Amino acid sequence: MAQSMERSFIAAGSIEEAVASRMVGAVVLAGGTWLMRDPLRGVELPEAVVTLHRIPFLSEVIIDADHMVIGAGVTHEALGKALRGIAGFEALVGAAEGAANPGIRRVATIGGNLCSIDFAEADLAPALLACGAAVELETTSGAKRIDIADFLNDRRALLEQAILTKILLRRDLIASAHIRLPLRKAGDYPVAIVSMALDADKCCRIAVGSVEPVARRWTALEQAFAGEPGGFPRDAERAAALAAEHNDFQGRDGTEAEGWYRLQVLPVLVKRGVAALRATEGLA
Amino acid sequence: MTVTFRLNGEDYRFRDDPMTPLVDILRQERFLTGTKAVCREGFCGACTVHVDAEAVPSCLKPVGLLEGCEVVTIEGLSAGHQALHPLQAAFEAADAVQCGMCFPGMVMSLSAFMRDNPDASRADIKAAMVGNICRCTGYERIVDTVADCLAQQLHTAKVAGGAGV
Ligand SMILES: Cc1cc2nc3c(=O)[nH]c(=O)nc-3n(C[C@H](O)[C@H](O)[C@H](O)COP(=O)(O)OP(=O)(O)OC[C@H]3O[C@@H](n4cnc5c(N)ncnc54)[C@H](O)[C@@H]3O)c2cc1C
Ligand code: FES
Ligand code: FES
Repeated sequence: MAQSMERSFIAAGSIEEAVASRMVGAVVLAGGTWLMRDPLRGVELPEAVVTLHRIPFLSEVIIDADHMVIGAGVTHEALGKALRGIAGFEALVGAAEGAANPGIRRVATIGGNLCSIDFAEADLAPALLACGAAVELETTSGAKRIDIADFLNDRRALLEQAILTKILLRRDLIASAHIRLPLRKAGDYPVAIVSMALDADKCCRIAVGSVEPVARRWTALEQAFAGEPGGFPRDAERAAALAAEHNDFQGRDGTEAEGWYRLQVLPVLVKRGVAALRATEGLA
Repeated sequence: MTVTFRLNGEDYRFRDDPMTPLVDILRQERFLTGTKAVCREGFCGACTVHVDAEAVPSCLKPVGLLEGCEVVTIEGLSAGHQALHPLQAAFEAADAVQCGMCFPGMVMSLSAFMRDNPDASRADIKAAMVGNICRCTGYERIVDTVADCLAQQLHTAKVAGGAGV
């Protein structure tokens, strides 16, 4: 049963200790729901592991009047519970409560979701892009804040030298929505994801996940929305038409869906997203 | 490495690889074979156990994360000489079980769900079962049984509350 009696397994008591272990090659273990499947992918479990579960601040969600700070060790279930009912963060709640299944959501952390580098289907990535998040990394030279988009693009290199500690959000959103399309209603990875968030000036951020290898903002569509009379499409049908016109994604082929299909469904997801935004408390 | 945790109410000390999945210890070291290892990737739910009272897949739980935790398996939910858990009894009475492969996981997921959601709707019950796959029953009889069991639980609580007045 044992793969190695000699495996190094450090339950870090502080973030400094965790970073020091990372610097000498230990792999971060959060909930383990991604890492523990490595043997099924033909990858051996790491020889040295550092866990984060004994570092209390990583499991906190702090919500104040203007900002929100989510610890990287917060589970999907805890995130959904903490944010449910807070206007503007419907997309994050949808992502946290719609991903995977209840047993996984009780264990899988937001940090693990964002740091699973080859996982294109991550729900929280587009939701956080739409909500305009930043992340904080702990390095040997202290904390470093960067935009979530830069983190997603550069994380392979960044995480060699750092540990993700916090996700930071401003509370300037009035409504958001997270629309995911799994092949079956439950239990599948999403084929495509559209997340949208609207601030008080009706400025809309739109992000797409699972279509390309890394989630990204749909800036062409954001600009098209802004160019509409009143700065926002008059209805969901118009939003879908704009999405079809400005579809600039390169769909990724995968076992569950081919690239062309992922592109094809985007306008419908945008339509559902705009309808969901209109149904939120902030726009009612 | 040594990891100490409670297993079905008793202290248990494991001395080996901390990345060993809990399901392997349960089945291979403790012969608690009610917990099934089927997909080993979090999709099927057959390996579900309670860790600190939460229903989680044991196939993805490295034992190193369990130091000081309380683990309960299907064998610990009600030991042989005790009355069955009400949900187990209800499944038996309703003849809901077919091959039975999924049921230990199903019971572990749904018993925790019933404890935390006494007013759950049918849709809530279905949402709670998303991570428990059953290839035999078509699910409806399982959902019916959980709904009946919850109704019975509420009725009993009401009667007990009324009796005290
Ligand atoms: C059955 C199943 C279904 C799923 N369905 C979905 C789905 O529909 N949508 C979705 O979004 N996801 C889905 N997932 C993926 C799931 O979200 C991830 O497995 C999970 O979020 C990983 O979190 P974890 O805490 O378990 O991470 P771990 O497995 O512990 O770690 C994952 C990776 O991140 C690194 N890491 C973790 N935390 C940090 C940190 N703070 N700093 C630096 N590196 C870190 C680890 O080193 C490792 O490389 C599914 C997973 C399973 C098992
Ligand atoms: S064996 Fe653990 S979820 Fe399938
Ligand atoms: S009864 Fe056979 S898998 Fe559920």
